Amino acid sequence: MTFMDWYREDRLPHIYCTGCGNGTVINCTLEAVEQMGWAVDDTVFISGIGCSSRAPGYIKTDSLHTTHGRALAFATGVKLANPRLNVVVFTGDGDLAAIGGNHFIHACRRNVDLTVVCMNNMIYGMTGGQGSPCTPVGAISTTTPYGAVEPVFDLSELAVTAGANYVARWTSYHVKELTKAVKDGLETPGFSFIEALTQCPTAYGRRNKLRQVSDMINYMRTNVILIQKKQRMLERGEAVPEEKIPVGEFVRRNRPAMGVPK
Amino acid sequence: MKLVIDESRCKGCNLCTMVCPYHIFQEGDRLNERGIIVPKLDRPERCPNCRLQKLYGRRLCGACALICPDQAIRWEEEKPYEKHKVVIEY
Amino acid sequence: MQGNTACAEGALAAGCNFFGGYPITPSTEIAEHMARRLPKKDGVFVQMEDEIASIATVIGASWTGARAMTATSGPGFSLMMENIGYAVMTETPCVIVNIQRGGPSTGQPTMGAQGDMLQCRFGSHGDYSTIALCPSSVQEMYDLTVKAFNLADRFRVPVFVMSDEVIGHTRERITIPDHVEIVPRRPLEKGTLPFHGGDDGVPGFPEFGRGHGVHVTGLTHDERGYPEATDPHIHETLVRRLVSKVESARHDIADYEVVNPDAETVFVTYGPPTRTVKQVMHDHPDERVGHLHLRIVWPFPERLLKIFTNAKTFIVPEMNMGQIVREVERHTCLPVIRVSKLGGELHTPDELQKLLEGRP
Ligand SMILES: Cc1ncc(C[n+]2csc(CCOP(=O)(O)OP(=O)(O)O)c2C)c(N)n1
Ligand code: SF4
Ligand code: SF4
Ligand code: SF4
Ligand SMILES: [Mg+2]
Repeated sequence: MTFMDWYREDRLPHIYCTGCGNGTVINCTLEAVEQMGWAVDDTVFISGIGCSSRAPGYIKTDSLHTTHGRALAFATGVKLANPRLNVVVFTGDGDLAAIGGNHFIHACRRNVDLTVVCMNNMIYGMTGGQGSPCTPVGAISTTTPYGAVEPVFDLSELAVTAGANYVARWTSYHVKELTKAVKDGLETPGFSFIEALTQCPTAYGRRNKLRQVSDMINYMRTNVILIQKKQRMLERGEAVPEEKIPVGEFVRRNRPAMGVPK
Repeated sequence: MKLVIDESRCKGCNLCTMVCPYHIFQEGDRLNERGIIVPKLDRPERCPNCRLQKLYGRRLCGACALICPDQAIRWEEEKPYEKHKVVIEY
Repeated sequence: MQGNTACAEGALAAGCNFFGGYPITPSTEIAEHMARRLPKKDGVFVQMEDEIASIATVIGASWTGARAMTATSGPGFSLMMENIGYAVMTETPCVIVNIQRGGPSTGQPTMGAQGDMLQCRFGSHGDYSTIALCPSSVQEMYDLTVKAFNLADRFRVPVFVMSDEVIGHTRERITIPDHVEIVPRRPLEKGTLPFHGGDDGVPGFPEFGRGHGVHVTGLTHDERGYPEATDPHIHETLVRRLVSKVESARHDIADYEVVNPDAETVFVTYGPPTRTVKQVMHDHPDERVGHLHLRIVWPFPERLLKIFTNAKTFIVPEMNMGQIVREVERHTCLPVIRVSKLGGELHTPDELQKLLEGRP
């Protein structure tokens, strides 16, 4: 079996734009789920609202496509009511960090046994490109026509601080690493958070001088820095360039968790 | 096994051309009937999956299939080669 | 026993095994009681970060087959509205208890009211229909909470127990039955589409983890559950089914009490004003005065008004500016008198008696 066996093939092709990274992130997540040897019938995918949140509709398992921002609260109910089910959540940066921000920190704090994959495209994709809490300062969106001025959330750091048991960040270019990170998340009891930086060529790239899909991929490829390397540089007192995005495993620990099957 | 791009799914994003270590995927140059420029395959039999997937019992590399956001890349069974009858003429 | 405790005990008797909530006066005792009792019965109690999360977690739990509920009051009820619509659209059985208090806004946290009666029917966006039960005593709080779970599972809708501070905090002696009837959800039959309504418009329930591979979405969906958000026909068929599965059963599920069906002047009540009317009729027995006491207010069983064939006037006392009275007015040509009371106190028997006697 491969990740393709988890797709509802009658629903493909999906609604995503050409070159959208969401499809890649779903592939990697399903590949990790497949490597876990989980059964389709024991697995549930849950999401909020957004392009990213359309993912469960293309997967064969039971799935819950909920309201904007609330996926984690719905998932908490599913998991606590039946810990035997494997619960994976797909969300977007707006869904998770803006309207769902409160649920995010509390799900981390409770450390409910869920794995959350956030497709962070730094924009509100579905509604046509408005600024999100992850839109970089200076970036153009339809609601930041003169460049975003608000500081951004670092979702992974936020998850670490709020108490998640496993946190990692990769990108939709780093498919092998992303798959491994999701698998590590699935294996870790408690709340696992995997942030996947993804390209949204339609609502972000187009307005931010990253017109080609390859431009966005190259941006992700060249600007990432392993978090361990960044830490070593900081320890040595070296300067880490602003634009570098730390990737890799942020934390793996064993805080008491809720909803872990007995 | 044979590496194929499903033309009914490919949206022509060329992400596959960026990840293959053998550069098997090359940007295409011809619109298909859906108006999409599907990448060309350059000697796809070089892909280790084509030769070794069966032998190893698992997928090797697979970077192109993982990154393809439209689930368009896969390996198909090939018809077994027919044994050629060699007629030796004396 | 206190009304709120009776609510929690009724829920437990009905097999409630999941409670998600957020504290709010005057409903908190329900959460507190569930927090004590549920873990001892292998159930789950979880205090969420707000009421939006509370109703979300209840809906999630329900999809695993749990009998799930939450309890709140006005401000929390307002926060729940979007996800109540989600429960309607996805046909998720669950029970939402609203111990009403004076509003708008933070209003009167410790005083009773019936101000959310239209909100529970129309508060979420779009067309839909739901079921609302209104207890007028502690005994009814117990009985109607049990009933709420059965109705939720039968119709696959969120069901509201629309009580209030008065009943929630009243202490009365009640009889707890040895056995309560539990009507479980009808499971989805294999080979049937998960959102196919069938004869009664209520699809079988495809519980998660049972191999149904069901996709549940708040988007307009076809009978397979797949999003079809632009097809006018699919939307119309779905929404009409969601409304009619409840509305067409309104007389079948009606729960009421009729006193003096030949009366000329008829009180129509639900919730606490019922008590005042009963007091008046007890103190001044008069065959010309009748009483229709509704335990289920939504869907509104308008045919019950016709029981009173000699009726000349309906009187509707409510602890709001007149909400359910609109339904009575809509369904009769006779004069309807609204007796609205705000501020948290019940109508006094004397106030209603004066009205009957035509005294100022
Ligand atoms: C309560 C509510 N407010 C607003 C919306 C409109 N809306 C739909 S998707 C979306 C943003 C999604 O952004 P994100 O979560 O980043 O997902 P993406 O589309 O980028 O993957 C918004 C604001 C909504 N559906 N519900
Ligand atoms: S708008 Fe952006 S995120 Fe949404 S499908 Fe298109 S590329 Fe993907
Ligand atoms: S599996 Fe690897 S080597 Fe084979 S075609 Fe894909 S990317 Fe290239
Ligand atoms: S990655 Fe997939 S969709 Fe994109 S060009 Fe290659 S085969 Fe086509
Ligand atoms: Mg986004």
